[in-house]
Amino acid sequence: MEYLSHLYLPGALALWCALIFSLSTMWGYASALSGNTVSLTFARRSYGFFALSIVLAATLLSLLLMLRDFRVEYVYQYSGLDLPTHYQFAAFWAGQKGSFMIWLFWGTLLGLLLRRAAGANEPAIMGIYTLTLTGLLFILVRENPFIMLGKSPWDGQGLNPLLQDNWMVIHPPIMFIGYAASAIPFAFAMASLWRRRYDGWAERAFPWALGGFLVLGTAILLGGYWAYKTLGWGGFWGWDPVENASFIPWLFGTVLIHGLHMERTKGRYRRANYVFTVLTYISVLYGTFLTRSGVLADFSVHSFVDLGISGWLTLLLGGFSLLGVALLVLRWREIPTEPSEDPFLSRGTFMVLATITILIAALVITAGTSAPLLTRFMKDPSQVGPSFYNRVTLPIAMLIALLLAFVPYLPWRGIAFREVARKMLWPFVASVAVTAGAVLWKVHDAFHLVFILLASLALTTNFQKTIDKLRGASGLRGAGGYLAHVGVGIILLGIIASSGYDVSTKVTLIQGVPRKVDDMMLTFKRFIPRQGREKERMEVEVARAGRKPFTVYPKMFMNDRTRQVMVNPDIKSSPLQDLYVSPIDFDPGQPRLRLAKGETGQVGTMQVRFVRFDLEAAGGNAVAAMSAGQPVTIGAALELTQDGRTTSVMPLYRINPATSSVETPPLPLPGGGAITISGINATNGAVQLDLSGVASPAKLSLDVTRKPLIQLVWGGFYLVLLGGILATAHRFKQMRVLERVTGV
Amino acid sequence: MKKNRWYLFGGLLLLAFAGFSFTAFKDSMTPYVPYERAREGNRIVQVAGALEKGSSAYVDTRESLYFTLKDPQSKETLRVRYKGLKPANFEDAISIVAIGRYDVSAKEFEADKLLVKCPSKYQGAEVKTYS
Repeated sequence: MEYLSHLYLPGALALWCALIFSLSTMWGYASALSGNTVSLTFARRSYGFFALSIVLAATLLSLLLMLRDFRVEYVYQYSGLDLPTHYQFAAFWAGQKGSFMIWLFWGTLLGLLLRRAAGANEPAIMGIYTLTLTGLLFILVRENPFIMLGKSPWDGQGLNPLLQDNWMVIHPPIMFIGYAASAIPFAFAMASLWRRRYDGWAERAFPWALGGFLVLGTAILLGGYWAYKTLGWGGFWGWDPVENASFIPWLFGTVLIHGLHMERTKGRYRRANYVFTVLTYISVLYGTFLTRSGVLADFSVHSFVDLGISGWLTLLLGGFSLLGVALLVLRWREIPTEPSEDPFLSRGTFMVLATITILIAALVITAGTSAPLLTRFMKDPSQVGPSFYNRVTLPIAMLIALLLAFVPYLPWRGIAFREVARKMLWPFVASVAVTAGAVLWKVHDAFHLVFILLASLALTTNFQKTIDKLRGASGLRGAGGYLAHVGVGIILLGIIASSGYDVSTKVTLIQGVPRKVDDMMLTFKRFIPRQGREKERMEVEVARAGRKPFTVYPKMFMNDRTRQVMVNPDIKSSPLQDLYVSPIDFDPGQPRLRLAKGETGQVGTMQVRFVRFDLEAAGGNAVAAMSAGQPVTIGAALELTQDGRTTSVMPLYRINPATSSVETPPLPLPGGGAITISGINATNGAVQLDLSGVASPAKLSLDVTRKPLIQLVWGGFYLVLLGGILATAHRFKQMRVLERVTGV
Repeated sequence: MKKNRWYLFGGLLLLAFAGFSFTAFKDSMTPYVPYERAREGNRIVQVAGALEKGSSAYVDTRESLYFTLKDPQSKETLRVRYKGLKPANFEDAISIVAIGRYDVSAKEFEADKLLVKCPSKYQGAEVKTYS
């Protein structure tokens, strides 16, 4: 009973109900396998109630977050009074428990759609799918997000300042839709093996696999944006284990969608596709295991510590791997295959080669990410750095580009090399021109030049084919795949240019003094104090000969709660390059004065005289407010004299006795700089003033990086996704036609 | 016969790539070592420890951050130089991991990368009591 009193009961009840309904759903579907329609109805209704319970649990958790109910441990740990509404909501997926909750939530909703699309094999498919959801649900029941603290703190610990970013609001939930979707092809494949229905599953699973691939891809793109634009990692990809944990399933997913496409159009890959679905789903679980169980705690910047769920995660991972492997082994000989003899220069052969290449890429990255596990039993546990991934993926990317370049010209029956060469002539000429341009620019590494040649070739040949398709009868519909391949070529060019040929300079600027960096003149203009939600910023002017100067505003501020210094870079994008300006260190050059009433102090050429305290600075009498326990505002009347001119200013000092918090807004000065009251001594009536940017000049150290052609990375990724969307729309339409024809 | 030759070719290619990745793997491995092993300075390693209070300073002229790591168990210390900006939550970190190589002549550990950990923020294990 003591355990019960530590739970927020409505939420915990919703989870327990969900668990009961998930078990009854599986039981119902199991009895429906024999064709019992009553059981089928029972199972469907149970799933409905299961979904309702999960939606209820998720709604309750978000309500608790919105209501700032700090009695609940999860709310206390990830929310706080200072959070604006959208971050309060985003705190949902800030921690481990909420992440599993959102994953389960999406999975449950997808299940409602899947139930309608499952067709005649619904009992087996939905039974297995519900099993995957139940696995997640067990984690949540064990690691309950509705645990109460047993006391009522007045404020929470707040959200990690690194996560207080607009990308945080959208990136994680999208990622979890992708994770949730990976279980659907798995359920189709396992059900097909189990029930020995080897035909037609690929057709049905294909749009789901494609959709999941797209969503996961979008999430990866958003994550890259986040890392690049605000986290100040200096790049869009760092080969961090958590990044890899989403990239590996995406690579397997790439293989899977191509395999399923082969099966539905040509009846190929019938055995392989089962393997691919298992690999895709297991890699999602494995990535989760690596990043959430604490085994990588010492190796990742995302640093998750063990929450006591590694046991469950291991069980899930082991259980579903065993299920997949066992079914595959049992049925392997029964799976119908069609022997195929492809000539070398044919679509079939190239597809096999590309599949193998991407599989190898995924396996190598998996091995790298698992390094701490693999080396655990050796003398020193180790991890591998980005250099490993960069070295290993470079040749793989080149091979992929080469294969992609041929794809548009290869028919199934094969083709003579001379014919391909003739068709490839113009794209080849264009690619040589691009490569020559790269040499003239500054690429002299032979390996990189071959890389650029191949990537351009993949781009141009597929571009040519896309145009052909657009002109042809199928129009947009048939062009999706080729468009995606154009995108791959563009991404590869963007990656090599932006990460192989970026130029980074570290420079310290003295306020107001221009300094030359390459062909740019940088001037640190001023420090802009916090204005409302807008954080402290640095104004830096960048001028280049013959061009209009522009200003960048990198941010550097102290998080109020954790007293961490936070840094946000500012990026000036132009079509050919990004200028990436990130602050390293800021020395405000801040003199401090302690003045009694009537005293005058000197700061540089400025004289500061403290006239008196103003107790009615905010209207109303401060003494009266103080005795009533209300917020008090005190002003310090000052006279500033510089160059013979005197101005009167009054910085303010606010005390709230209720929260014992003090607010001292910096007051901008007419001649630049700012003045702040940093303290008041009540006994001798003295004031302590901080001046910034007045006498000893402020100094700002910056990291200035130029990243050429980084826009290509984003642009190419958009094309891959657009191509994928076109293809998905096309397939869903085909499937509806199929359903009308077959009547299931 | 012809087909077999292709398989052989493919197999050799795979083998070559496997060897290549294995060497790349070994080369870029950065083992966790105690400070005295790091001081041998013969390879890239990772060291972990707590930040010694008040030991960190950014030196403009050398564009580097200097600080001292302290091993919580052995109480040994290691002077670290990091060419870059002070990470966001540096001063409050309960543990810092530095990846790099020991410079024997300068007698300092030159870090290429820092991992800074504040577990209370990412996965709050302990709950502070408020009065």
